[in-house]
Amino acid sequence: MTDTKTLTTEQPDQAALKPAVRMPAAVAHGLAIGGGALTAASAFLAWTYSSSFPGDLTISGYPGGLQWLTLTAGLLTALMGVIAAVPGLRVLAPGNPGNATLLFAVGGVAVTWFTLIAIAVQLHGLVNLTSGGWVAGVASLIALVGTLGLPRAPGSTVCAPTRAEWLQTLYAGAGLLAVGYLLHLTGNGAAGLVMAGAGVVPIARLCIVLKHYTGPTPTLRAAKRLPVAVDVVLMILMLALALEIFAYGVDTPYGQLFVGFLAVLCFSLWALSQSGLLRRATEIFERNRAWAAVLGFLTAAAFVFVQQSDADAALGVNVLIFAATALGLNVVVGLAGLLDLGYVAFLGVGAYAAALVSGAVTSSVHATFPFWAAALTGAAVSGIFGVLLGAPTLRVRGDYLAIVTLGFGEIFRIVVSNLDGVSGPNVTGGPNGIVNIPDLSILGFNLGNPHTILGATIGRFANYFWLMLIIMAIIMLVFSRAADSRIGRAWVAIREDETAATAMGINGFRFKLLAFALGAALAGLAGTVMAHVNFSVVPDPFVFAGPVPPNSAFLLAAVVIGGMGTVSGPIVGATLFYLLQQKLTFLQSNELLIFGVALILFMRLRPEGIIASRRRQLEFHEAEDAPAAQLSTAGA
Amino acid sequence: MHELPQNLANGLFLGAMYGLIAVGYTMVYGIIQLINFAHGEIFMTGAFGALAVYSKLGANVSIWLALPLMIVGGVATATLVAVLAERFAYRPLRNAPRLAPLITAIGLSIFLQQLVWGFPGNKSARVFPQLPGGPFHLGSVVFQSADIFVVVAAVLSTLFLAYFVRSTRTGRAMQATAQDPDTAKLMGIDTDKVIVIAFAIGAVFAAIAGISSGLRYGQIEYNMGFLNGLFAFTAAVLGGIGNIYGAMLGGLVLGLAQTLSAAYIQYIPGMSQFGSQDWSGVWAFVILILVLMFRPQGLLGERVADRA
Repeated sequence: MTDTKTLTTEQPDQAALKPAVRMPAAVAHGLAIGGGALTAASAFLAWTYSSSFPGDLTISGYPGGLQWLTLTAGLLTALMGVIAAVPGLRVLAPGNPGNATLLFAVGGVAVTWFTLIAIAVQLHGLVNLTSGGWVAGVASLIALVGTLGLPRAPGSTVCAPTRAEWLQTLYAGAGLLAVGYLLHLTGNGAAGLVMAGAGVVPIARLCIVLKHYTGPTPTLRAAKRLPVAVDVVLMILMLALALEIFAYGVDTPYGQLFVGFLAVLCFSLWALSQSGLLRRATEIFERNRAWAAVLGFLTAAAFVFVQQSDADAALGVNVLIFAATALGLNVVVGLAGLLDLGYVAFLGVGAYAAALVSGAVTSSVHATFPFWAAALTGAAVSGIFGVLLGAPTLRVRGDYLAIVTLGFGEIFRIVVSNLDGVSGPNVTGGPNGIVNIPDLSILGFNLGNPHTILGATIGRFANYFWLMLIIMAIIMLVFSRAADSRIGRAWVAIREDETAATAMGINGFRFKLLAFALGAALAGLAGTVMAHVNFSVVPDPFVFAGPVPPNSAFLLAAVVIGGMGTVSGPIVGATLFYLLQQKLTFLQSNELLIFGVALILFMRLRPEGIIASRRRQLEFHEAEDAPAAQLSTAGA
Repeated sequence: MHELPQNLANGLFLGAMYGLIAVGYTMVYGIIQLINFAHGEIFMTGAFGALAVYSKLGANVSIWLALPLMIVGGVATATLVAVLAERFAYRPLRNAPRLAPLITAIGLSIFLQQLVWGFPGNKSARVFPQLPGGPFHLGSVVFQSADIFVVVAAVLSTLFLAYFVRSTRTGRAMQATAQDPDTAKLMGIDTDKVIVIAFAIGAVFAAIAGISSGLRYGQIEYNMGFLNGLFAFTAAVLGGIGNIYGAMLGGLVLGLAQTLSAAYIQYIPGMSQFGSQDWSGVWAFVILILVLMFRPQGLLGERVADRA
């Protein structure tokens, strides 16, 4: 009797799920659309009296700073609300337009209230808000209430947290608050951050509730094929939009705007995936892979035209170097499942190799190689180091590799600091490094000088951005070809079960060594460009954990949090990390702390990363399907 | 060669410290096959816990009165951190693929370093109290009170551990869990408890090592656990990971190797520039690679349960 009861409460009749706010459907649609439109309109009002809040929100009639984000979220809510209300428009959002409207509205509430709270906190008090600010806040809530009255999507589940979950949230939040207060008493610099973490806990809980409320991403039947020309035009439009959004994010001048941007971006992407539009977009890109690759590359190259200054291009080239190295690490960690904790040393080997043969006066090797030769040298030397390190360690259990690479990463820095002619032979110039590395000249095109192309001035960093983009394309090609080949399948087989793989005739040692050496060579290749971009190579940046990327800890975090074993995961992870650490300057002394916590939380909650590879997902959640797994495999 | 006895003694003092840290690596690895990267940070928190107690006591308390309290404070801090780490970071991942706990350990290591870094005061090096007395002379060997502390601590700890593992119920439960966790569970052993105890004992030893390090060098740093942890792990592998006596032996051998390499490698023809203190870390690392190549089971052989 009790059994039946539990069953019914756990698996309720799906049709019986009611919307959170009961109201007639017409009213709900009206509130959603009207609220969205009102939110958008309120962005034109003045929100505060004082222009000391960044972005100047005091002007009526023209949105500024964060108000643009509220405007965007409001318009998207209203638009998706119309699509949800009019059955004839279903073709525009084949998934769950109701859910999409809700998520856009949540994004609007998030960015609007974040702005209002930021104004109140930064300018000390609610009195700084004008009526316009209150209108915006209320309008975004009206839209939210309306969207919560829309019918629930099929497949959505009971969203109210259980008692245990409530207690968990309470304990986590209160615990963090208490620890933060204790740290505050001792004067620890991380106290504020820990207390802010206590604030994140209920927000995370709300997001989980929202996830259950909306249900899983709708599965759609494949759409009718469009002519290739239409597909190409659609792809160009989508990529141009993506580039514009990315350039806006890169160009955000202050941290508050970047936080707001991320909030709207995340909820919009969630909304788009609920509406089914993301699925349709993926279909288009998947059926025209060649076109997608070419257009994607051109879009990335066009980044130098849409950015405002060469400083943004410098940001871009650094992001690319970081992302390319992370992708190289993904071969080792993501595909072959070998934990490499000294990966940045291979980047360093490549950078030093390129610097030595660059013809710099401070180089101890008096040779000037053309770039192609220097790049190959860097990659080859790095690869050789990978083999030298991997050959003895990969024969024994995989766990040892982690500690040996950690040691190698640290020893590399000690060695290059000592090879200065005093405490060792003079090779690397010691702590001063190799400086004044000349700019590259490829086919008579000097990358150090600005050039004018299509009426736009392409500065030094933009030139290097293009060079790095080509290298990135090569690394992506190597990665995806290797991953899809016999070699890649062997790597995955070894990663999942080495004993079984060996029984199938795979030479585990040889394939692991290949992965390790290939990863090292790719990092070396990225390092060769890094040496020229930065003018100099010094030992300091090549540490395990430091405040500036790339270092081994950042690289590992980018791969793990981005998504192991995918092409786009490390790129997304690296871009996100680089921008976060550049934009959120108030976190700068604590960002490593956040990464440490992020690594722990991701391993616990989403080990497959932001962008999940299907195979990884199955692998990591295997234990949940078979809860009776043995203890003996723990950590092994 | 007249300084050989002094170098041997210095090697033993360094090695005793490595051995104390290595015990924690080897016990945890022996039972759940996890390289606890954060163990170096447990060592560091032990030293900082002791320093916190000392700074609360004030400067006019005698060091001989303060030292026992510092040991209690350091041991309590390190054990608390280790037990919390086990409970909240490692235990939920008991059945996850092997990469997950390793990455968690890395995250924990970074987190602990940065948290300690955040405490106000000198970020790079903090002054640790010194033991009075000394220097003592024994033949041509000169040593300090802190050196006596570390040797006594290492000997006592090893004796205690030997007694604990061989003769107590919990110690035998630990051996059983290391050999075969599933069968141990069937025999009524609370393996979760055994694992927590392994973490706690490792933390106690690491805290003592951390205090010895502070006493010997007169200063501690937030990142002191990184290199020392690395060398201690090397010591554990050298002695045979999973083998508690091996960890101590490996520590001593590694300490001697580092000290002797710093002193004598420069006399090898052609190596004159590779002998300084700066290179001793490199030689320790070369030893790790050589051990993995030629005797991966370590000097005393590893005692790791057969895996399915």
